[in-house]
Amino acid sequence: MNELLPLPVLLPLLAAAVKIILGPRHPRLQRTISVAVLAAVLAVAVALLLDADRSGAQVLQMGGWPAPVGITLVADRLSALMLVVSSAVTLCVMVYAIGQGTADRDHLTPLSVFHPTYLLLVAGVADAFLAGDLFNMFVGFEIMLMASYVLITLGGTLPRIRAGTTYIMVALSSSMLFLVAIAVLYAATGTVNLAQLSDRIAALPPGTSLVAELVLLTAFGVKAAVFPLSMWLPDSYPTAPAPVTAVFAGLLTKIGIYGLIRAETLLFPDDRARDLLLVAAMLSMVVGVLGALVQVDVKRLVSFTLVSHVGYMVFGVALQSAAALTATVFYVLHHITVQTTLFLVTGLVERRGGSTSLERLGGLARTAPLVGLLFFVPAMNLGGLPPLPGFLGKLGLFQAGLEDGGPLALTLVATAVVTSLLTLYALVKVWNRAFWRAPAAPGPPSGAGSFSGAAPLYEAVSPAAASRAGGAGPGGADGGEDDPGEGLAHRTARLPAPMVGASMALIALGLSYTIGGGPSWR
Amino acid sequence: MSAGAGLLAAGGGGASGGTVALAVTGGALVTAGIAMLLERSLTRLVVGILLLGNGVNLLILTGGGPAGRAPILHGGPPEAAHRPMADPLPQIMILTAIVIALASAAFVLAIAYRSGRLGGEDEVRDDIEDRRVARRRGGMRAERERRAIAGPADPIDPDELGAPEAPDAADGRDAADGRDGGAGEGGR
Amino acid sequence: MLLLFAAHCAAAAVAPLLVRWLGRNAFLPLALVPAAAAAWALPPWLGGGAARELTRAWIPGLHLGFAFRADPLSWMMVLIVGGVGALIVAYCARYFRARDEGLGAFAGELLAFAAAMLGLVLADDLFLLYVFWELTTVFSYLLIGFEPGRASARRAATRAIVITTFGGLAMLIGFIMLGRAAGTHRISEIVEHPPGGTGVAVALALVLVGALSKSAIAPFGLWLPGAMAAPTPVSAFLHAAAMVKAGVYLVARLAPAFAAVPVWRPAVFVLGAATMVLAGWRALRERDLKLLLAYGTVSQLGFMIVLVGAGSRDAALAGVAVLLAHALFKAALFMVVGIVDHATGTRDLRDLSGLGRASPLLCATAVAAAASMAGVPATLGFAGKEAAYEAFLGGRPVLLAFLVLGSAFTAAYSLRFLWGAFARKPGVEPVAVRGPAGPLLLGPPLLLAFGGVVLGVLAGPLNVPLARETAPYPAEHGGGYELSAWHGFGTALALTAGSLAAGLALFLAGRRVAGLQRRLARIEPDDVYRALMGGLDDLALQVTGTVQRGSLPGYLAVILLTAVVLAGTALGLAGPWPEPSAWRWWDGPAQVMVAVLTVAAGIAAVLAHGRARTVVLAGASGYGVAMLFVLQGAPDLALTQFLVETTSLVVFALVLRRLPPGFPRPLPTWRRRLHIAIGVFGGATAAAVTLLAAHARLAVPVSAAYPAAAEEAGGSNIVATALVDIRAWDTLGESSVVALAALGVTSMVFARRRASARRAPPRRPRTPRCGPWRA
Repeated sequence: MNELLPLPVLLPLLAAAVKIILGPRHPRLQRTISVAVLAAVLAVAVALLLDADRSGAQVLQMGGWPAPVGITLVADRLSALMLVVSSAVTLCVMVYAIGQGTADRDHLTPLSVFHPTYLLLVAGVADAFLAGDLFNMFVGFEIMLMASYVLITLGGTLPRIRAGTTYIMVALSSSMLFLVAIAVLYAATGTVNLAQLSDRIAALPPGTSLVAELVLLTAFGVKAAVFPLSMWLPDSYPTAPAPVTAVFAGLLTKIGIYGLIRAETLLFPDDRARDLLLVAAMLSMVVGVLGALVQVDVKRLVSFTLVSHVGYMVFGVALQSAAALTATVFYVLHHITVQTTLFLVTGLVERRGGSTSLERLGGLARTAPLVGLLFFVPAMNLGGLPPLPGFLGKLGLFQAGLEDGGPLALTLVATAVVTSLLTLYALVKVWNRAFWRAPAAPGPPSGAGSFSGAAPLYEAVSPAAASRAGGAGPGGADGGEDDPGEGLAHRTARLPAPMVGASMALIALGLSYTIGGGPSWR
Repeated sequence: MSAGAGLLAAGGGGASGGTVALAVTGGALVTAGIAMLLERSLTRLVVGILLLGNGVNLLILTGGGPAGRAPILHGGPPEAAHRPMADPLPQIMILTAIVIALASAAFVLAIAYRSGRLGGEDEVRDDIEDRRVARRRGGMRAERERRAIAGPADPIDPDELGAPEAPDAADGRDAADGRDGGAGEGGR
Repeated sequence: MLLLFAAHCAAAAVAPLLVRWLGRNAFLPLALVPAAAAAWALPPWLGGGAARELTRAWIPGLHLGFAFRADPLSWMMVLIVGGVGALIVAYCARYFRARDEGLGAFAGELLAFAAAMLGLVLADDLFLLYVFWELTTVFSYLLIGFEPGRASARRAATRAIVITTFGGLAMLIGFIMLGRAAGTHRISEIVEHPPGGTGVAVALALVLVGALSKSAIAPFGLWLPGAMAAPTPVSAFLHAAAMVKAGVYLVARLAPAFAAVPVWRPAVFVLGAATMVLAGWRALRERDLKLLLAYGTVSQLGFMIVLVGAGSRDAALAGVAVLLAHALFKAALFMVVGIVDHATGTRDLRDLSGLGRASPLLCATAVAAAASMAGVPATLGFAGKEAAYEAFLGGRPVLLAFLVLGSAFTAAYSLRFLWGAFARKPGVEPVAVRGPAGPLLLGPPLLLAFGGVVLGVLAGPLNVPLARETAPYPAEHGGGYELSAWHGFGTALALTAGSLAAGLALFLAGRRVAGLQRRLARIEPDDVYRALMGGLDDLALQVTGTVQRGSLPGYLAVILLTAVVLAGTALGLAGPWPEPSAWRWWDGPAQVMVAVLTVAAGIAAVLAHGRARTVVLAGASGYGVAMLFVLQGAPDLALTQFLVETTSLVVFALVLRRLPPGFPRPLPTWRRRLHIAIGVFGGATAAAVTLLAAHARLAVPVSAAYPAAAEEAGGSNIVATALVDIRAWDTLGESSVVALAALGVTSMVFARRRASARRAPPRRPRTPRCGPWRA
């Protein structure tokens, strides 16, 4: 019985409650509470990981009710690992968001909504990871999803609403599918406790269990953005503010993958869905990366690479060997980090370059070399450059695939190789256009310093940029959001320390997987 | 175990399986919900969510077995005490699901409200970027022909590797862009 | 070993700071680091120490370990990389102008590249080698793009990274397969006990793809000429001395073990010889001196691949000799071109004239280097070529013919180079020279070029360390061939003389050759590559345009159809359905009535036309569901459902005030029918699936224990007790969801007021009579 288990959920809940009561006053206190709580969650997660590593899965029966009457919280090595990485990532993104919020003095993001919602998102994620009960996992998903609905439409501008509606409706459909799956599973087995389910499902007639498996896979597949259930992602993720997109891209899809892993390893360990998953993985990889090659906006491009790399993870899940699963888990952890980092740095690029459209950006390598470095490392990581963890994960997957040896698995290895090459090509294109090519628009903003360590209280907006923003009409002077790819956001010469610091911390975390990769490869 | 064993209606398969009427109703509501969900008006979408939610709840209830008396201990008329109780667990789950569906519907309604406030419409539009890509795809054949005449590269991607080299490439002179200007500069 | 590597990395990290501090002179202290590497490698290479090993575990689960091993071949490579590298870095100190931008990053990248190259030649683990291989690719990309403003530089850099990464990834797969077949991933062990089988052949083919793409062998060679867009020191280092040699190095490592595998020799010989001849032929056409050298490099690489890949000791000896010679003379020639470019402002040989008289020392350097390239006696190049001819004299006449032809072309383009750069051309004005080249600029190429000559004369003593590199090969009886400066008159010498003569003839017949070339030039590999990439982009556009439609109903339809198809298929495969008598059709007539009404209300809601009507009908169906709950024995549920339905009707009413009463733009009938069809499939599948599942239940549900638990908890309403006690955690979550929805609704509804309340001071001057702000 490990009493630490409910803490990752309870702490953010309590903090969110406090913040709602506090309201939009005391912004400093709000920020301190947020950061402190997230740091505490990280600490608890690390403690859970160490416990799980030492003494096996940690279990807690909520309310003291014995399983399967009551709800069980479980932290085995997989959940604990995912919890640690997700709390680290959410902490960094919070720091980044604080930096962005302060520096922008953004009127469209009412402080009193963002922070509590974000904390509740963290609580929902933790609940989903720690759930030992299928319905509780559903509730955790719902907390997380509802928080994401609020975050993605933050500010209430028309483009955000449009993109947000797509996301919301698709997510609601996936929730309904999940509920249908629960209905089927309960009808067939009479329980929703995960451990008991895996026993009882084994006793079911194969037709019934296959039905349940497929419905559940579809529900998780929508969440994880597996082709052909993935088309909503590039339409909805990029319009949100940078930290929100970062957290979504990094975390939310991986929770779907986590669900897939649990479904395929715990609930339905036979591999009847193997070929289906392999084909879906292949299509995801290909369609995602081809989509990335066509995009003009950096955020959309990175969203498409997200879809593509989900294919890698599904590949690993489908193979179902121990080596493949280890590689998949490693890849999931790495991908959470690198995708979040890329989106955060894209936010930095947007601040520095004024846009995320490749048609407008240019010359950033000379004008903002730090941003260049911050972009280059995670981009190469995503593209599979050794010795970064992206390469390690891919190596593991290739090895597992070749060991499997079946024709479909070999095809997938070849597809994975080509996808890796094309991902690199797409990212190199971004580097070429945004960082190397001379900018299309006139001159960089005044103030050659690209990184100011001083406390960011004012933006240094060059006269040219100001007049452009001001001249864009009342919508511009409002600080109004522009349609993606159309008007220019502010261009600032200063990057707030928290934003840069958070990005660097995430990159360092990613790199640490390389060094620490050895012991975790078990 | 006073109120326990034997009280619940659900049990093994066969005659205690789901009620068809309930399932069919649930299915019909799901049908209605899906049909509404595929529309473009936000109002219809919300109604679709609600209908779909109701339908799925009925399906969960179906999994709970036959109808029984209310799951209340020591309550209800004594003559009904011999009837088995209905399965409480699906009810618990459905309650939570109803509340969550309400919350979701309320939020989407708020969005519809805001959208109405901002633009007067509550329609779901197509994504702009996707439309742009589709248009580029439509114009691909014209693009290919234009490229074949060795014109300048695609305006969207002048670095595109598919673009032909500058016209004097055949000379072998240009490939390294060696002529960087006169004596003042000196190429690399 | 590790210390050296760490020093390189540290220098790379520190380089930008040094440059900021010292300007371009920072290159001088930085040159010490590769020089140290060369100094480290020289004694064991000359003296013949035993191989040194260093092993640390890294990720055993992936068969990836830190395994380094230094043997004679590695030492020579380190010597080349370090020695030539140091000279080139020193050359950079004067090559770049003091006010050039981007030197800090450049210096860092150059040293990082040197570090990666070092790691590559010292690595003993297959995957570790791959790590360094790819690192050199990336740094090469960054270095080629030194002047990023130029589209040609960007294009060349992209091309290089794409092609070499393609090769690298193929090689990785080959390595994985090889490692599995051999049971170990240590290169030295694999070479000692090579595995066999068809899997190994495939693996080797893939590895060869990687090696050949890195070394710019046909058909992967087209990235190298383009990479000449890089600054000259980069070309001298990466594309002459270091990076392209990586492929040759790998082939040399693996050849002793695998040369006998069926795929090896044909690939190596055919591709290598073809490259040598075709690239040499192409070099005769070039007018840019740097491009001429580039094609020359490609040609020489083909030569080297043939030699080191042949699998015999003599050929290998010749190969390493040529490798060494090539590093020396090519780097020198590139540096000379850089000086010419600086001094005169052009590299086009049609414009250069009279330079030989203006800078005699430069001319002498170039002559020495070119002589080694052409294989003139008394140079190292000559010694290597002799060895090469001798190696193939016995067995392979066709190959020998190709090599001689290639050498002829080499001689021809060497002469062309010298004539182009230095000769006085009739009718062309002598070019203006800007000042003599300083010692730092001239020193390195001078050293390298004359080094080639000196080593050529000393080829005999040089044979000792070089021969040690061929140790993996079985020793020939009688000690085998030995390098020396002069073997006496023999067939090999005749061949050399022949090729030199032919080269001279080709050079003199320049114009006719050019004409022949123009008529023969048909397919450029460039065009193939461009067509490939263009096709890729078109494909991407096609696929994305088709798949990403941008319409939400489309996405939902796909998702629902997927679910329906999957569930339906599984349903169909689910085996025999129970007979109708086994089903329970209803739980009472009341249930059927209410069910029918509910369904009717739902269907009417779908078909309704006004917003208000739709909402009310949907609400009615909700009430019907509540009645069904009552009949099923779920009073709490019914109560909640009533309340929720009422609440949502109220909220709807509030919202509908703001929206127009009718729905705009009804859909075309076929669309509505399609939606309804999807709905029907969905609903039917869902119902069928649930029924099937319920029918299959075998076990007792967990809720059998609930009454007892509720008793224990002290409540009498089981559902309520469970909600607040037994399953309270779920209720906590559900409340959070409601709170979140409330937050969201608040922010949506009140956002405008907040925005107008917190108006920031405007950034432009306010015009008088500014009306109220409109959001």
